[in-house]
Order: sequence, then C-alpha cells, then structure tokens
Amino acid sequence: MTTTTSLIPKARGTLDRTSPTRELVPVVPPRVVRRRELTGGEGLLAGLLTTLVIVVLTVNISGFPMASDDEGTYLAQAWAVATGKGLAHYTYWYDHPPLAWIQLAALSWIPDLFGVTGPAVTAGRVAMIPVVAACLLLVYLICRRLGMGIRASAIGLLIFGLSPLTITMYREIYLDSFAVAWMLGALALVLSPRRNLWHYTAAGAATAIAVLSKETMLVTLPAVAVALWQNAARSSTRPWAVGGYLSGLVLVGVFYPLYAVLRGELFPGPGHVSLIGAWQFQLANRSGTGSVFTPGSGSYELVQSWLFYDPVILVAGLLATAAALFVRRLRPAAVAALILVLVAIRPGGYLPAMYVVQLLPFFAIVTAGMLDVAARAVPRDRRWWRPALATVAVLLAAMLIGPRWVAGNHRNLTVDDNAGYTAAAEYLHTSLPDRANATVVTDDVLWLDCVDAGIPREQVIWFYKLDLDPAVQARLPNGWRDVDYLISTPALRQDPSTLPLVTALLTHSTLEASFGPADARIEIRRIDKEDPA
Amino acid sequence: MILISAVLATFAAVTLWWTMHAWRTPETLAATRFAEPDGDHRLTFSLLLPARHEQAVLEHTIQRLLRSTHQGYEIIVIVGHDDPDTAAVAHAAAAKAPGRVLVVTDHNEVKNKPRALNTALPFVRGDVVGVFDAEDQVHPDLLEHVDHAFRSTGADVVQGGVQLINFDSSWYSLHNCLEYFFWFRSRLHLHADKGFIPLGGNTVFVRSDVLRTANGWDGTCLAEDCDLGVRLSSRGAKVTVAYEASLVTREETPDTIGSLLKQRTRWNQGFLQVLRKGEWRRLPSFGQRLLARYTLLGPFFQAFSGIAIPIGIAVAILADLPIGIALATFVPVVPMAANIVFQTVGLRDFGKQYDLRITPVHYARLILGALPYALVLSVAALRAVWREYTGRRNWELTTHVGAHINANAEAGAA
Repeated sequence: MTTTTSLIPKARGTLDRTSPTRELVPVVPPRVVRRRELTGGEGLLAGLLTTLVIVVLTVNISGFPMASDDEGTYLAQAWAVATGKGLAHYTYWYDHPPLAWIQLAALSWIPDLFGVTGPAVTAGRVAMIPVVAACLLLVYLICRRLGMGIRASAIGLLIFGLSPLTITMYREIYLDSFAVAWMLGALALVLSPRRNLWHYTAAGAATAIAVLSKETMLVTLPAVAVALWQNAARSSTRPWAVGGYLSGLVLVGVFYPLYAVLRGELFPGPGHVSLIGAWQFQLANRSGTGSVFTPGSGSYELVQSWLFYDPVILVAGLLATAAALFVRRLRPAAVAALILVLVAIRPGGYLPAMYVVQLLPFFAIVTAGMLDVAARAVPRDRRWWRPALATVAVLLAAMLIGPRWVAGNHRNLTVDDNAGYTAAAEYLHTSLPDRANATVVTDDVLWLDCVDAGIPREQVIWFYKLDLDPAVQARLPNGWRDVDYLISTPALRQDPSTLPLVTALLTHSTLEASFGPADARIEIRRIDKEDPA
Repeated sequence: MILISAVLATFAAVTLWWTMHAWRTPETLAATRFAEPDGDHRLTFSLLLPARHEQAVLEHTIQRLLRSTHQGYEIIVIVGHDDPDTAAVAHAAAAKAPGRVLVVTDHNEVKNKPRALNTALPFVRGDVVGVFDAEDQVHPDLLEHVDHAFRSTGADVVQGGVQLINFDSSWYSLHNCLEYFFWFRSRLHLHADKGFIPLGGNTVFVRSDVLRTANGWDGTCLAEDCDLGVRLSSRGAKVTVAYEASLVTREETPDTIGSLLKQRTRWNQGFLQVLRKGEWRRLPSFGQRLLARYTLLGPFFQAFSGIAIPIGIAVAILADLPIGIALATFVPVVPMAANIVFQTVGLRDFGKQYDLRITPVHYARLILGALPYALVLSVAALRAVWREYTGRRNWELTTHVGAHINANAEAGAA
C-alpha cells in the first residue's frame, strides 16, 4: 500500500529547543540477550517432552489411582450438560461454577474416539489428556517468558510432568486441572513479550474462565497481577494494559452472577437454590479439616499422602518459592505458590484432596527458575566449572530423585486399583435383573454406568442425595423400602453416621455380588423389603 | 435473537479493535507521533481559513497563525460577500500583515465550506494547502513539523491532530472530547495504515498539485473532508497521520446539544453521500473496500446498536426467555462495556497529556453519560438518513462561542 503512518520519536513539545550537539553515550551490549520469543525448534522440543509425559500419564490411566466419588460427580454433571439436561444431574445449587464440566462435556467425544471401554469414570479420564498437555506446554512457555533458558524451561516441564504426584493427580477428573490450564494461560498471556493490548485483555478473560472453572483459583490472581505490572513496566501503554485485563476479567466473570440473576437465583429465598446462599453455606457451614501441623487431622493425613507420592517436588518447590520471592523475574510464580501454601496452612481451613493440583505447576516453575538462577551464577570465564557442576547436579538428581520417581511412576504404570469398579460396571450392564424397573442407590462413580446400563435416570439415586435432597425423598414415599438395590462402595461407607437412610439400606440388605479386594470392596446388595423397621 | 446478538457483538468488537489501534503495543503508540523536525523550511504553505459569521474568534485565530515559526506561508481568509462583519475583521488583519494575509471573497449564492475552499484554490501559491477553521488554535511549531513530515515520508497528505478541549463545559462535551481523542489519537492511524482514510476537516495538509489534480473539494458534499480523503486514497495518495498532544489544533464542542445534533447529522449525511458517490469502489483491494463500506456506514451501525442492545436486554430481563438466549443477548454488552473501561483510561490519559484536572465527577459523567450520548448519536444518525432520503441537503452550520480560547488560551502557548 502506498499510505503509511509516520515515524517516530517524541517531538520536543513544550521543551525549549536543544542544541544539536549530543554527548555520545557508549553503548555496552549486555553479555547475554535471551530471546523470549519461541522458535520452531523449541516448539518441537516442548512438544516432544510433552508427548513423553503424556505417554506416562496415559498408560494405565484407568487402573490408577482409584476412581473417586468427585470424579464421578463431575463426569455425571458433564453428561447432564452434554445431553442437554441442565447444569447437573441433580438440581444445580451453585456449589461450584459450572464452566469446568461444561468444558469436560465439550471434550466428552475424545474417549469415544479412541474406543475406550470400562467404567464411565476411568474412560472419562481420557478426556483430561488434552487439558494436561495444555498445562505442560504452558509451563514451558511461562518458564521461557520468565526469562529462563531453554534447558531450565525443559527441566521445569519435566519436574512438573514426571512427578509421580502430578501423574496421579492430573489423571483424575478434577475441576482444578481446567482452572490451572486457564490460569497458566492467563499468566503466559500477561507475560507476552509483544505486550499487546489484546493479549492482556485475553489474559483477563482467561483468568475469569479459570475462576469460573474452579472458584479457589481466584487466590492466585495476585500472581497474574504482579506479572502484568512487571511486564507492562516502563511502557507507555501500562494503563491500557491494566484496563484491558480488568475488562476481560470482569466482563467474562460477570456472566456467572448474571446467570443466577436471570434465573432469579441470586439471593436466598424459600423454595429455590441461590448463588449467595451457596456461598453463605460454604463459608459458614463447611467444617475444617484441621491444621496440617496436627498429626491425625484430615489435613495432616492429606499432606502425608501427597508426600508419600512425591516429596521431591513439594520440598524443592517450597524451598525454591522462598528464594524466588527475591528474584524479580520469578516473583509472579513465587507469589502464586506462596499464596497457595499460605491458604493450605491457614488454621481451621478446609483442605480438599485435589488442592495440590493447583500448587504443582507453580512449584515446578519456581524450582526450575532457581536452577536457572544458580546456573547463571556460575562464572562464565571458568571453562570447566559449568560442565563439571552440571555433571554433579545430574548425578545428584539421579541418586536422590531417580529412585523415588521410578518407584512412584512404576506404581502409576502398573497398579490396578479399579478392577472392582470395572467388574461392578460389567455386572450392572449384564447381570442386574429387571433393570428397567429397578431403583438403585449408588455412589457417583457408578452413577453414569447405571444410567448407561438401562436403569431409568430418575431411579438411579446418588446416595448423597438420598438424605439431603427433599425432591429425591419425595420420589420414595416408603423410604428405604422403595429401593431395590444398593451398590455399596468405599465412598458410600466412608461416613454413614451422617446419612441415616444410607445406614438403613446397609442394614436391611443382602449381598448379591461382591468385587475387588477386601479394603475397597464393591458390593451389589438387594434390599430386604420385608424386614421390620 | 442469537443471530442479532452475534452481529451486534461483532460490530462492537470490530469497532473497539480499531478504536484501540494506537495502544495495541508500545511500538504502535510510538509510531503515531510526529518525527522531530530537522529545522529546514523547504516547503511553502497556503493556509486556507474559511470564516462565516465568526468575527468573534477570527482575529484571534489569525494572530495565532501569524506566530508560526515556519518561514514560508500565507494565510488566505475566505469570507462571504453577504457577511460584512467577518470581512471587516479579515481585512483589518490583512492590512496589519501585508503579504502574509490575503482575503478572498466568496460570491457563491449558496454558501458552504467546500465552495469557500474551492473559491480560494486559484489564489494558492504555496506547495502545500492547509485547511483550518476560524475557531482553531494552531500551535506555532506545527508547520515546521508538517514540513518535515512531508519531506521525510514522501507523503501527499499530512493529517495533524485535532482535539476538542472544553471537556468541562457540559455532560456531552466530555464524550465529544474523548471521541476526538480516540479518533485522531488512534483510529485515523489505522485508516492511514490500511490505505483508506476519511480526512478531518482541518489541520489537514495536501500538496497543491495533488489537490488541483483532484479538482479540489466537492461543493455539494456535506462532509467535504471525508470525501476528499476517500477520493485521494482511492487514487493511491500517500497519507501520513501524526499526533502530538502539544501540537494539536484545539477546537471547542458545539455549545448546545441541538447544535451537536445538527453537526453530527451533517457528518453522517455526508458519509452517506460519499458512500453513494461510490468513489471508494476504485480502491484496489477487497479489504480496503470493505473497510470503506464499514467506515462510511459506521455511524448507522452505531445507531442501530445503541437502540437494539438496550431493547435486547430489556427483553431478556422482562420476558421469560430460555436462559441460553437470555445470556446471549448480553454478549454485545461486553465489547461496549470494555469500550467504557478504555474510555476511562483514555480520560485519564487525556487529562495527563493536556494537563487538565480530571476529577471523580468527570469519571461519573463518563460512565453515566455513555448511554444518553449513544442515544444522541443514534438520533443524529436516524435524522441523517431521514434528511438524505427526503432530499434535504443544505448545510446546518455550528456556531462557536470561543469557550476553548478563554479556557485554554495560554495552555497551548505554554
């Protein structure tokens, strides 16, 4: 085109005209200039490493870890979305924002594509693989955009991806994986070397999607804010960048309360669920899991179980976080890790099992970041120091980390904890008599399998709703006597004291079939309707 | 309904995208400024200054133009034969500065700005023709920068910045000022990049030979500036846009909401005329023709959105729509609301660049006035369509009281 915009520097404006003589300042080029834009070769490297991790993740994905009730719940909710039955398989009561399982519903074609068989939950895990791949690539990208070298960034990806804890947790269907992917996306966007206004705006939208995938992701927002502030520093467009980010964040985020408003479910009221009512319930009524420092408390046990899977990433991440807070370019990731740690150790808080999912990528980034800082501290003029130190580091890592990760991932790759569920699902599909008329109480892992097996949806009852949902109780005028079968699983037996109807079903039933090992037995029980109360 | 929402959202998003052009990256922002001049004065300028019933402000404008640091320029004041008051002021100024100021009398029966400019064109002696309005405050260094811009970029046309300054006069003046700010600071640069530009009405400089080849201005068009830009870009003229807060030409907003409405009606109607003339069809690429079509119809899309979006929301809230559709009607609000957020940032930037004090009251005015202002623009757009199709094509002039001069007389000179 023939037209153009004229170039460049600032006119003198209101200043007095200066004399043309100018003192020449000698330009000292920096010793190392690291490009923060990725090249094609790097993309290939990151892609190969991601593929490696994904292979480890995928092999035996249905065998380990054991399917949890949460996974079944999210999958059933995704099923409700995908089949157009609403936002949940029961009344959606704003327990979590629904975006994660809406995304899961959008990915639900993936297991079918690969012809995955078995119980619905373990098949559904295959749909999470692209989400994990996105997280891995984003970890690499963020490392590079935080100014790390290619090797340090690759190490960051591998620390995150090959930790047995990551492999275990990211295999499961958790909302947190979606939230992490979007939050990492937001972080990568605000760190964009082009400092484009629309990247910042998209980052705001990604943050909102992360929070609407899992509300607790909100606590890491300050990390993105720090990154935004740092990256837009000394640029003429910082106010616009902040405006763009806020626009994206608020204008996407507002659709969730808007949904509640349009349904008339914003404020609590008789006869309907509400967004604010759910918040009140969760803030006030959720009992804590104790302190992580008190042996015997729920939180303590949980942290112990994480340490059992992989102490390396947790200890290294914790130490690196403390150090990285003092390195300017690593501060965004360090802030995220610090906030997540502080939230975890707050007294009397509730620590859910999947909490560590949010923490892992940030721990990996700061660990790799500190390795990068250490590597750069080696004097460049000593020729032999770098290879020697690198060799020592690799040997140390192989000795200290290697055995733990090999053992942990050996478990990930071989143990089959879901044989009981697989057999139970098979039984439901083939051997349960009179499926079209049966009323079955089950946990959420097998809920979708019951529906798939041909039991009418209204007659498959998630045990949890039996005691807590008045609408479900209304369908059973004779109480437990209206139930035909109970599928008793570890999740169902976990806390029977708070669920009297479930307890009644357990006592008034006879074992029909049983699967799995003794400590995780799955029983199909027929209800003895003639039992006296 | 979802389709309408999608269309509205797309329009709003595209408009927002273009409006924010200059601030996309720090590099684009840096490229929108005037280059530092080298101090050479190689070109000669003929500055056209049409004045009609503007005796109150004309004297001041001429005096300010005479303070220009550039060596080679003349001022041609164009007055109507039926306007003795303004003519008297012009002749007095010419007597004080012989050789610099020339007065040309326009004898056309029907008077408008393009005819006045065409009247003066045969008298032009300079290499470059510049156009100003009688109420403009021009910075003394401007010509020097324009001279350098012509020589360093090889441009045929240089468009300088124009800025309304009296943002504090009324609720709508704030919005009007910001519109100019975003238009000249940002959007016009995009048009220059893409090779299709509706020029501004003043602080526009065109090589005299290019202008003569194009036969000057269209005396029947209500938006002669836009028309000239479209004709020149269709013929492949090279246009440079530069914005420098200290060098912009300062103007004032229309003094009443009625005259704002009239001014806007005239522009919109002018855009329609330019669209109907079809000169833009000569643009070489499909993208440029699309941009032309979209830009010339822009005010009408805006008007449509300004009315359709509130109606959609009202329906979504009051009627019992399925939840998905109800949510979809809110999607076009997202880019609109983002626009208000960016305007807030823009207001802050505006205050900083022009050394104006922006108080919370102004931010409140910005946010609360956004919808009423959009409605005013919608009315103007509808009025323009009505006038065009009923054949009323006369020139409704905007009056000027000089609010920007009193308020900012020294700000520009500082």
